[in-house]
Amino acid sequence: MEVITILIPYILKGLNVTLKVTGIALSCGLFFGLILALLRVYGGDLLSRIIAQCLTVLRSLPHILLLLLIYFVIARVVDLSPFWAGSLSLAIISSAYQAEIIRGAILSVPSGQMLAARSIGMNRLQAILHVVLPQAFRHAIPPWSNEAAIIIKDSSLVYVLGVPEIMRQAQYYSARTYQPFTAYLTVALIYFLLTFITNRGLDAIERHIRIPI
Amino acid sequence: MTNSKKLIVEIENLHKAYGKEEVLKGISMSVSEGEVVVLVGPSGTGKSTLLRCINQLTIPDSGRVLVNGIELTDPRVDIDKARQHIGMVFQDFNLFNHLTALDNITLGLTKVLGMDKKKAHARAMKELKRVGLSNKYASYPGQLSGGQKQRVAIARSLAMDPIMMLFDEPTSALDPELIGEVLKVMKDLALGGMTMICVTHEIGFARDVCHRIIFMEHGRIVEQGSPEKMLTNPDLPRTKKFLGKISEIH
Amino acid sequence: MSFLDYLQIAAPQLWRGLLITFKVSFTCLGIGLLIGLPSALARVYGPKWLRWIVTGYIELLRGTPVLVQLFLVYYGLPQFGITFSAFTSAYIAVGCNSGAYQAEYFRGAIQAIGSGQMMAARSIGLSYLKAIWHVIIPQAFRFALPCWSNEVVSMIKISSIVYLIAIPEMLYVAKELMAKYFNVFQTYITVGVIYLLVIGIITYLINKIEHYLAIPGLEVTKRSG
Repeated sequence: MEVITILIPYILKGLNVTLKVTGIALSCGLFFGLILALLRVYGGDLLSRIIAQCLTVLRSLPHILLLLLIYFVIARVVDLSPFWAGSLSLAIISSAYQAEIIRGAILSVPSGQMLAARSIGMNRLQAILHVVLPQAFRHAIPPWSNEAAIIIKDSSLVYVLGVPEIMRQAQYYSARTYQPFTAYLTVALIYFLLTFITNRGLDAIERHIRIPI
Repeated sequence: MTNSKKLIVEIENLHKAYGKEEVLKGISMSVSEGEVVVLVGPSGTGKSTLLRCINQLTIPDSGRVLVNGIELTDPRVDIDKARQHIGMVFQDFNLFNHLTALDNITLGLTKVLGMDKKKAHARAMKELKRVGLSNKYASYPGQLSGGQKQRVAIARSLAMDPIMMLFDEPTSALDPELIGEVLKVMKDLALGGMTMICVTHEIGFARDVCHRIIFMEHGRIVEQGSPEKMLTNPDLPRTKKFLGKISEIH
Repeated sequence: MSFLDYLQIAAPQLWRGLLITFKVSFTCLGIGLLIGLPSALARVYGPKWLRWIVTGYIELLRGTPVLVQLFLVYYGLPQFGITFSAFTSAYIAVGCNSGAYQAEYFRGAIQAIGSGQMMAARSIGLSYLKAIWHVIIPQAFRFALPCWSNEVVSMIKISSIVYLIAIPEMLYVAKELMAKYFNVFQTYITVGVIYLLVIGIITYLINKIEHYLAIPGLEVTKRSG
């Protein structure tokens, strides 16, 4: 069907952008999430509570509201393109969730591990780097896989900022051909494939690096 | 206790409270080089806390701790460096679960002492041999029995060349048939001249190799003396009662 | 005009928007429950063919964005001549989406209860259905509560998406206000604060309910939904 020869390439033009938005959001989210998690676990009581409050606020607001807030307010001041406003908004949102994931993973490492590391003379940083984080990392993969899937799906939200990702492409296509169902169904399948591959891939990695018992 | 040997550990008037509960109520003691001291007493009387105050994993509220002449309770002292020379063995083993037995030992050697990989490897294998586990070098903690885990833990501490070893109920979490292999390693260490402070209920071990038994109760040292004296004819009836009880069991 | 003057004008409209937000959120939550609980039961206790269908539904709905599902129903179905109103489309799309997530929470809860409970129930003569109703579901509810409370919060957040199909919930009202009065920053912040307050209050209430329903000795550790 001409649907396949015309529709799919047309929509795939936006896939590039979808992947970029997701990639930026996840990687920046990981970077900041890790820092926030470490600050929360090792940074002392006051700092931990302040950060916890900020993160709770970020996680309590609708994602689309945050997207719009950041685009219309901050981007105008700093002059960001919709692509960057969208990507960075998602990055901020993701770092709030990833901070919780990483923090949970760190806390699931038994406290005796830190004791043992300090008792052979490691300082705090070495203990965190060589003993706690490697173990926490393994515990973090399943919830992180979940988060990755969420960000892939959330990338559809940048549609409202006009970013030319696959949702936008579907909308253009349906406006021109009056076949909205076909267009959006294709988009749905693409998202499904993306989340499916990501989850299975991360599952495989998790099994591969599992510590033998 | 007359000896002209140098004092490895000196503890002066140590106090520690958790909330309202005072766990250490003014402990003073010292241990000489090569001496093996066994700490006994009812659970919760502060024995583990005392041990952790020595290498400052727990910071005491007041009092002084000196190891090899260096005051560890002085905040200006580099405690990480000091800990390199104090070995500690935990009741829960606390092996690094994500590393093989060999890597558990080489981690300290490479990351703390800065040894190069090959030397660390060789040294680690030597320590594993010493505790009788050279064939388990590639096993992960999850694949080892309790007794094997504890022996690896001892090897991990020994690899750092400590001047003394602290044992915090090393056999309490082990099945009875596995206790023997760990006690053997500890006995060999004692006979080899290592300075040791052990919190344990293993009276047999105390009788065989230790030089002094210290009985603690309610955060204070009640009585101390040679094993012969403490086990057969202690001064205080309380001591006799407690040591008699655990002698029966062990 | 000053912020307070603006608030006086905006408040009633935002309030109406909030009510619509609640209407959409809770209706979809309810639809999700009606779909999710049976789906979970089907996945655990049902025959193989049913398990297949249900799993397929769950995987598809959880693997695609809710925005796409919304557009498929509202913009897509008219391609086949089926037209739903905005509200109905929202209920169908977001409700089914919630159902898929709730199915997973309930499934986890049922499996956490353990097969021993079902065995014990059958061994005293309860039929399959009776066992499910009297033994499994009461325990499953309590196990699922922490995750379900996340779902409530999630619903309130997700419902804001329906502003795109012109349902006059809070975000839609906010956009209208901004078009009229041009104070983007203030409006968004106000809406944000309202969301924070609402979710804070709801979280507090849910914690109280969890406390009230707790069975002594049956501890449920809160997992991050």
